[in-house]
Amino acid sequence: MNAGAHLRHRLRRFGAGMAFYALIIGFCGVVLFPVYWMIVNAIQPLSHGMQYPPPMIPEEISFLPFTTLFENYPVGRWLVNSLLLATMTTLIVLALAVLGSFAMTFLKWRGKAAFGLLLLMTQMLPEALVVIPVYAMYRNLGLSDSLPTLSLVDAAFILPICIWVLKNSFDSIAEEIYEAALIDGCSPLGALVRTLLPLSAPGLVAVSVVAFFYAWNEYLFAVTLINSPDIRPVAVGLASLKVMLDTPIDRVLAAALFFSIFPVIFYLLIQRYIVAGLSAGAVKG
Amino acid sequence: MAEQVDEGAGLLRRHRRSRWNSLPYTLVLLIVAYLAVFILFPIAQQFLTSFSNNVVGVDKVQWVGLRNYERLFEDDDFWFSVQVTFTYMAFVVVGAVSLGLLSALLLNRKFRGRNVARSAIAVPWAFPEISAVLVFLWMCNPTFGVMNVFARLIPGIEQNLNWLSDPKLAMPLVIALSIWKAFPFTFLVILAALQAVPRELYEAADVDGATRMQQLRYITIPEITPTLMLMAVLMSIFSFKQFTLIWLTTGGGPYGGITETLVLRIYQTAFRFFDLAYGATLGVSGFVIVLGLTLLFVYAQQRQDRARRR
Repeated sequence: MNAGAHLRHRLRRFGAGMAFYALIIGFCGVVLFPVYWMIVNAIQPLSHGMQYPPPMIPEEISFLPFTTLFENYPVGRWLVNSLLLATMTTLIVLALAVLGSFAMTFLKWRGKAAFGLLLLMTQMLPEALVVIPVYAMYRNLGLSDSLPTLSLVDAAFILPICIWVLKNSFDSIAEEIYEAALIDGCSPLGALVRTLLPLSAPGLVAVSVVAFFYAWNEYLFAVTLINSPDIRPVAVGLASLKVMLDTPIDRVLAAALFFSIFPVIFYLLIQRYIVAGLSAGAVKG
Repeated sequence: MAEQVDEGAGLLRRHRRSRWNSLPYTLVLLIVAYLAVFILFPIAQQFLTSFSNNVVGVDKVQWVGLRNYERLFEDDDFWFSVQVTFTYMAFVVVGAVSLGLLSALLLNRKFRGRNVARSAIAVPWAFPEISAVLVFLWMCNPTFGVMNVFARLIPGIEQNLNWLSDPKLAMPLVIALSIWKAFPFTFLVILAALQAVPRELYEAADVDGATRMQQLRYITIPEITPTLMLMAVLMSIFSFKQFTLIWLTTGGGPYGGITETLVLRIYQTAFRFFDLAYGATLGVSGFVIVLGLTLLFVYAQQRQDRARRR
């Protein structure tokens, strides 16, 4: 009887474990379904996607969506444009965020709280709220329709978050290390470059990823400020595929898949730092 | 030895007093100037424009005082879009925070494959909005969309639905898409908060014979409440700012702006109706909401800080 009770207990635990796994797998399945569906429709012949009901598991694999995509649409061009745009944005953001979070963390000055509030407000401002005056300003100055000037706007909007993320990484460096560098004869900026930056490499990587993919994904400023098809970033190009009703869906989703691979990989690699920086990013004066 | 320390401290003091005194102000001024060009100046200009009659094509731009604001208060469409905005925000905030909390609780225990599950749930957060929109539109296609397959499992639904063109479904669908995109972030942050709850609290509760539910109610939830509040504020900012997910799926439609939030309305007024002055007036009203949200954020943040220091 004892053995029976033991067996029953183990069976129940096993059953609970199975139920738990079933729950986890089911939940992840629901969350990932749109991603799965995008992949399925991007790698099967168009005729399979265009039937009702659609097959849940691809019956045939085809790379035609990808090859026709690159043959018929300037996707390569768009990718290069986005790469340029995102790289320029990242460089601007890195330079300014390093200086800003350095001042926020290691320097003593008046007005930190007000500066923090300005950053916070910028972070909360909807892009749609300033896109009209920025558009007008760029048109008047003849700055619109260019990737470098677009990257300036993108950088301004992602800068606050990047300052918080980097500040969080600076916060974990002991003040003594900075002071030791000063005592050794470094100037404050020298100490920043020689000791603080090497110690906050993960934070710098996180900031680069955030800035890079903000510009990579950004749609509103890009579609408003860029006119020439030649310098379209991918986000705008992809949205234009949606508007052109004649674009077959397999190609649209193949393009979307291509567009998503990089951000997903990089974000998942550095999620830890971003989460820490964003949730701790405070207005500590 | 003591002399050396003294010397070091002296050097340090001299450093602080020396020409580097102005360094922080130079650095911050650089950033403020940069933000001024792209953020502060445009806001100031919007503010000025809202007192004018600036419409594309108008002969002479003049000051019209508060006329745009009078129009704003009588504009039913504006109040409707405010209502849409807050409805959308409320559902996204509640949905994203509670789903984030539930999934964080689910994944807070140790099991094989936990990191895989964690990364899987984080994927929508890393997913570009445009790609999410494109696959979502295809899933909701009235003829071929896979959503029809799922919907037809529900008894009583025998025909394909119109999804985004259906006035009853458009808003719930846009909300669902937004929650899908947003909740992984709250999940990651709440999970981190759960793991920071001191283990001794649970051990003590175990000794006292508290059940799992009691531990959740009296230990876990109070410990992470500041984080939950912070997430609620961050989600309201996310949903208030949201443009791409709504604009590229419904465009504010169907019929008379059922999903047209304030940001969409501002954009439409300026870029479709070319009414820059009124668009700016709407923008100022949006700016007032941003200020309110900023104050809320500061409040939530300070509460979390205080809780952490305790």
